[in-house]
Amino acid sequence: MGLTLNVMDMGMLSALVILTLGSIGSFKNSRLGFYGALIALVIAFSGIIVSAAHFVSYGIFILVIAIINLVSLEAIKSEIKGVDYGLVALMALATMYIFNTGDFALVLAALVLVSVPTYILVMVREGGANVEVGIKYITFMVLATVLFLIGAIILVYTKNAFDGSLYVLGYVMLVLGLCLEVGVAPLHEWVPDVFSSADPIPISIIASLAKIVPFIAALWILVYTSCDLTVSITLFTAVIAAISMFVGNIGALTSKELGRVLGYSTVANMGYVLSCFVVVAEPAFIYLALAGGLLMLFANAAGKIGFFNAIKGGGAYSPLMYLLAFSFIGVPPLMGFWGKLFILLSLAKMEYFWLVAIVVVNSAISIPYYVRLATELGVDWKPNLTNFICLAAVVMVLVTVFLLPVEWFYSTMEVIAQTVGIAI
Amino acid sequence: MIDAWIVFLLLLLAPVVSSIPIVLAYKSKEWTEKLPYLSVFGIFISVLMSLYIFFTFPKELPASQFAYPWIPDLGINIVLITDYLARYMGVVTALIAFFIAVYGLDYMKGDYRPSWYWFFFNLFTASMLLVVYSDNLFLLFVGWEGLGAASWGLIGHWFRDDDDIAYVGKAGRKVGPLELSWPPSFGGWRAISTIRFGDVPMFFAIAAIWVLTGNLNISEIDWGSLFMGIGAAGTIILMLCFLMGLFTKSAQVPFSEWLMTAMTGPTTVSALLHSATMVAAGAFVFLKVTWYIEPWHLHGVPGLEVVYTVVLFVGLLSGLYGALAGSGMLERKVLLAASTMSSIGLMFAAGAASFWIHEEIAGINLALLVGFWYMAVHAFAKASLFLVAGHLIHATHSRFCCGGLEFAKRMKTPFIATIIATTFLVGMPPLTAYWVKSAMDEVMELLWHEHHMLIPIILLILTSLIYSAIMARFLSLNFVRGEKPEHEHLEGGGLMKLGYTMMVSVLFILLYLIFTNAETEAFVHAGYASVSFAVGAGALIAYVLAVYVPRLKVFSRVPGTFFNDRMYLPFLNDYIVPKTGFFISRVVQNYGNRGIDGFFNTRVIPGLFGIISRGIRAIQTGYLKSYVKIVLGLVMVFLVIASLWGLGL
Repeated sequence: MGLTLNVMDMGMLSALVILTLGSIGSFKNSRLGFYGALIALVIAFSGIIVSAAHFVSYGIFILVIAIINLVSLEAIKSEIKGVDYGLVALMALATMYIFNTGDFALVLAALVLVSVPTYILVMVREGGANVEVGIKYITFMVLATVLFLIGAIILVYTKNAFDGSLYVLGYVMLVLGLCLEVGVAPLHEWVPDVFSSADPIPISIIASLAKIVPFIAALWILVYTSCDLTVSITLFTAVIAAISMFVGNIGALTSKELGRVLGYSTVANMGYVLSCFVVVAEPAFIYLALAGGLLMLFANAAGKIGFFNAIKGGGAYSPLMYLLAFSFIGVPPLMGFWGKLFILLSLAKMEYFWLVAIVVVNSAISIPYYVRLATELGVDWKPNLTNFICLAAVVMVLVTVFLLPVEWFYSTMEVIAQTVGIAI
Repeated sequence: MIDAWIVFLLLLLAPVVSSIPIVLAYKSKEWTEKLPYLSVFGIFISVLMSLYIFFTFPKELPASQFAYPWIPDLGINIVLITDYLARYMGVVTALIAFFIAVYGLDYMKGDYRPSWYWFFFNLFTASMLLVVYSDNLFLLFVGWEGLGAASWGLIGHWFRDDDDIAYVGKAGRKVGPLELSWPPSFGGWRAISTIRFGDVPMFFAIAAIWVLTGNLNISEIDWGSLFMGIGAAGTIILMLCFLMGLFTKSAQVPFSEWLMTAMTGPTTVSALLHSATMVAAGAFVFLKVTWYIEPWHLHGVPGLEVVYTVVLFVGLLSGLYGALAGSGMLERKVLLAASTMSSIGLMFAAGAASFWIHEEIAGINLALLVGFWYMAVHAFAKASLFLVAGHLIHATHSRFCCGGLEFAKRMKTPFIATIIATTFLVGMPPLTAYWVKSAMDEVMELLWHEHHMLIPIILLILTSLIYSAIMARFLSLNFVRGEKPEHEHLEGGGLMKLGYTMMVSVLFILLYLIFTNAETEAFVHAGYASVSFAVGAGALIAYVLAVYVPRLKVFSRVPGTFFNDRMYLPFLNDYIVPKTGFFISRVVQNYGNRGIDGFFNTRVIPGLFGIISRGIRAIQTGYLKSYVKIVLGLVMVFLVIASLWGLGL
């Protein structure tokens, strides 16, 4: 790292410049913000293609999610029209960038970059700002970021000057910060309220794009600082993950309001992803956890985008809704299945068999409410924006049908795991 | 010389394949009237193949065994055998099925579902042929189950239960809680449920044989060391499980009820069921297995004598039960059914006697030979009688015996066929069955003289006399001294007559064979023995008496009604067993299901969900104040725990 800039950094830098210009221009014409964001994303992605080909499969998912998010913002007439595109693109740039750095400070910076734009986005609604939701959300996000940052700093400190009790404290603080940030039970209280009372479009962004970086950052730091104590402390994340799955799924099963169901579904999904953190003690299996966790996050993103947009648009084409529900449930060969499969494999490799059983039981519990969501949101076909966005989301979960992730995503993750290892 | 596998393929598949078109054309009245000829042709191919096997295929092992691999890892292979039993029985089965099929072309004309009938009829034939030629126990079991399925389909053929002519028993006749009247649908159900009761233990016995010996080929299994290996108790359990399948299929006491109500099926079905398939299958498999067990060489094996004693007495008691029950019956087909059960019992008894009999003729155990030849003679005679009964039911519109000499004059062919079939069957000298029965007398006599078993010969003689009388009774009540029929419909029936004329004429061929075959020489010899002649003379007297006095007023209420009600054995099938079953199912429902489902699935899990869900939702008050309290509290608790843990390190 240092003063010499490679192609990717160049790309990122120019993307940021264009993004800024576009956002400024959007005060005159909001279209400029949209195109600026789009061009910035494409430039950044081209930078990845040129300099780090093995990140392409990761980068393309982020690009697609970000573009769908950008397009979905069309459905809402906010007071900050134009700037909101810039915020989403900024989050996407940080998400794309996080694997490309070995710098601890930049990882934390990426986390903040993804987190802060959501403070504004969450308040977006037609004709005014949703301040009540904003306060609820921001209160916990601030606490989350503080816990996360302090935990991370403590952990990195112990890497240089080892102290067992500090390590445990840092680990717990970091994980608690992560839990608050993404909404893992038992620190999930804000999730159902915010998900059900904010506008569905910004929530679809918070539930999709914003979830990825916190996990990668936490995993990055935990792997980087892992020590002899890690094997026993992973039990903490395993227990939290199990609690989150049960709270999320049972909560969703017994809720009526669709937004609330999706909120609890997020709690459950974050539990699944958190469960694969048990591999941090064993670097050899990190590629499995990465493959599982990321596919799970992508599947979750696609599903949440589809469902929230359907809520906003008063329903979407029925078969699309069912495909998204099946992906969530984990029906092969949809993306959600592969995510769960790799998570289960990583748990099995670490001999967390009780957690495997809990994940399977929870998948079963989740079936009724996902089917119910699909039934209630499913309507006849109409050529409108909602259906277009849902179609894009479905194409995303269907990608794994045509490109078996065993061959493709899995090997990418192996390369990434190695790169991350080298970077550390 | 045609390749063996082509012959077997044609033999076993021709009947099934030839009946597929009629199934496909089930909607077209025009086609379903023509296509039965194709089905009959399929059976004719089987006849040709069975004759080809009879005349050209090798008789002695190992050349008589034809093996084609199927699932070799489990000992399940297509292994067929053309030994003495198979080659003869194959011809008997195919020929009888063919004659009945020809008869059926006439008999089943205008039926409401010909596709169903012909498919199952041909499947029935093919299944029996598979049982006959199989050497592999699993393959045999496939045919065995085919028999079960086809019999269900055929017995319940008139499933609409809308015609009294297809019922068994007098409508409305009640004894205690039971109505002694059975419709076709119930008849089919009684058959399949009884058979299933025996097939399951039989299946496990076959599985046990595979586990214990690693071989399922009857002719290859080392039965002696198998029995020695599992000891007396093991042998008895294994063989009784196996025999359960045979006893239920062959309707031996106390599993005979299904056979009586199997008369609800079309008469052709009854004829086939009673002669060469189904009930014969049980006795045939017993003879086939005993043939290779060679129990007369295994006297040192513990437990085997018990098994064969059980079979001997089950057979003899079934023989007597069937004959007695038949003596009280007035329904044409049910009377014949009871007599069949009696005959099959005697086949079992003769086969079982082989345990004690060492006499061999041309290398074949005398007792087995007797059992088998009796099966062959009985098959043709009984099939003829059933076909006649069917014709009579058509002609008089009544399933009860009726018809006098006047009627007989107008129905000459059935009258003569009945005379031949009954006299040739009951064992009066010098007609076909006499020679076989004489040898059977000799076998039982040997048991008496050499093994001091007196009861078997007494039971045999008693059964033979009553049997002769009930056959004569059938003749008399239908053609000589029966009541005048209410309806007479005498035209037509050409193919029917052809069917039973061909059938009954085979009895002459069999008589010829008995006198010319090397192995049956002993039958002729036994026929000249004084005891045999005395029994034969007794049968003749019983026959003549019964023709003149078919019904005795004195006996008509007691024991006539008792016998006609099959000694109240229906209570076992229709009352005791189902009531026991309902009792068990109630216990399971009340204490098992409600315990598990009721408590676990409707209380524990939903209760737990309710509590957790209430807890989860109780947190969501909507007030930021309370959320902050909860989150900060939890974070503090976790951090304190982490600190304490850290301090402990």
